[in-house]
Amino acid sequence: MKPEHDPLSATIRRAEVTAPAGPSDIVDMDLRPDTVLSVLEADQLVVAKEHPRFGQRQLSQGVRLLLWGLRLYVIAMMALVAIQVVNAVRGGGH
Amino acid sequence: MEERSESLRTRPASVAPGPDLPERGVSGGITHEDVDRARDRLAVERARRAGSAGMPLARRLLPLWFLIGPGVLVFLGENDAPSMLSYAATGAQYGIGFFVPFVLVTFLAGFVVQEMTVRLGAVTHRGHAELIFDRFGRFWGRFAMGDLVIGNFLTLVTEFIGIRAGLSFFGVPPLTAVGGAMVLIFGVILTHRYWTWERITLGLAVFNGLFVPAALLAHPQWGMIGNSFLTWSPVPAGGVLKPDVMLLIMADIGATVTPWMLFFQQSAVVDKGLQPRDIRAGRTDTMLGTLLATAFAIATIVATAPLFAHGIKASDFQAAQFAQALQPLIGRVGATLFALGIFEAGLLAAMTISTSSAYAFGEVLHKPHSLNRPLWEGWAFYGVLVASAFAAAALVLIPNAPLTYIVLIVNVIAVLAMPPALLFLVLLVNDHAVMGEHTNGLWANIAVVTVTVLLVLAGLGYGLVTVFPKFLGGG
Repeated sequence: MKPEHDPLSATIRRAEVTAPAGPSDIVDMDLRPDTVLSVLEADQLVVAKEHPRFGQRQLSQGVRLLLWGLRLYVIAMMALVAIQVVNAVRGGGH
Repeated sequence: MEERSESLRTRPASVAPGPDLPERGVSGGITHEDVDRARDRLAVERARRAGSAGMPLARRLLPLWFLIGPGVLVFLGENDAPSMLSYAATGAQYGIGFFVPFVLVTFLAGFVVQEMTVRLGAVTHRGHAELIFDRFGRFWGRFAMGDLVIGNFLTLVTEFIGIRAGLSFFGVPPLTAVGGAMVLIFGVILTHRYWTWERITLGLAVFNGLFVPAALLAHPQWGMIGNSFLTWSPVPAGGVLKPDVMLLIMADIGATVTPWMLFFQQSAVVDKGLQPRDIRAGRTDTMLGTLLATAFAIATIVATAPLFAHGIKASDFQAAQFAQALQPLIGRVGATLFALGIFEAGLLAAMTISTSSAYAFGEVLHKPHSLNRPLWEGWAFYGVLVASAFAAAALVLIPNAPLTYIVLIVNVIAVLAMPPALLFLVLLVNDHAVMGEHTNGLWANIAVVTVTVLLVLAGLGYGLVTVFPKFLGGG
């Protein structure tokens, strides 16, 4: 596609314009708002991130079992680590 | 492959639709953060246009220059103070042998995992913590956050231990070392520009390579290194099921795969503004980080192998002691490089890990959470970043605090906390509503499930030899 017909090239050329039109809160930015909107995906905008994008999923029985199983594994292992640390401190090993 | 010309305003059809954006005028709703991110995107697109097919190689690689960052930072950040000390302890206690190829395998496992965070971040534009809370609810989200907060804080403590210990080789007092690091951490975020923060930390990360010249000054036996890759030998005397060996195995695994890496890289990918069309570059960035970190980790093992060869007992060494013990063997320059490397490892990781905590905090509480935000807009985000680092730094300065053992044990904790984090990752990256066409393929799922199972088995093995040292023939 020739650069003059490529919408993105046109966007890049427009971005070179340093006289934005808009309220004072963006007057010190050298990008036009429409340029920002054209290079970012809709979900990348800060205003879009103010709301959760995805709802909560339904967890199957198997997934719940896995989550709980691994959670209990972590708790048990942390207890073992604590035992090892206490033994090491008492033994003066470290 | 020619880049598809596509409207960057169009969300891929296979991805779940996001919320309707409020009606606004030409400039309404655009923030400073959006502008900075758009500026970064334009730089990428300009580089892509300049590096089209037929142009010189340097021009064609230019987009990669703009897109690398999160992957290199996460892996070189994971080569942090406790990790480098784990590798140093490995080399000092067991020399060149089993652990050299083992470390390579752990980094490959790390790549498998981290690549998925690139896809998650580029497709969803949401951080890891936020996605967990959104898809799994507050109950499971709080568990994930609990693991992250505890792990990150303990790890931050060890980073400042490394900073203090590394600079103590040069006679720098602890308060000066730790205080100076805090000044640097705070100074970098004052740029309130993700791109600038990333480039400064990448520049710092390069110094993780200081372990390479230190290794060369140790005059390694290259044949022995090559033989270790081929034969995974020599194996530690008494086998790998001894408690001391298992501890180092766990520490070395934890030096490569830890929960904070998942949260950091995905959030950094989002803050950097990567999009689905950048996934391939993000993968390259991650592989580059993997290779560099692997090389530097193995270099550390090689650098301290002379201690093993000379029968010097190093099991209780701290960073400065490694450098001091190495000096007669690899010279003052080599020891200096080693100590500087430990300092760099601690400082870089302190920056990245405190940032990962701040990202997670902001995502979960829906506060502004971007390094593109000015201080006054992102005060909560920056506050968490600085406060977490400050609390860890303060702990390191407490006289007689039990710091030595924490350095090795914190990596063990990271390994143990990893399986639940990997389960969330696997579920998210296979979630069609979230990932659309970018879900895991069969081989990626086989790889990540294998990594998860191996981590669980390693943890169980560690537990067994801890409770029953002679059960598996060790001890």
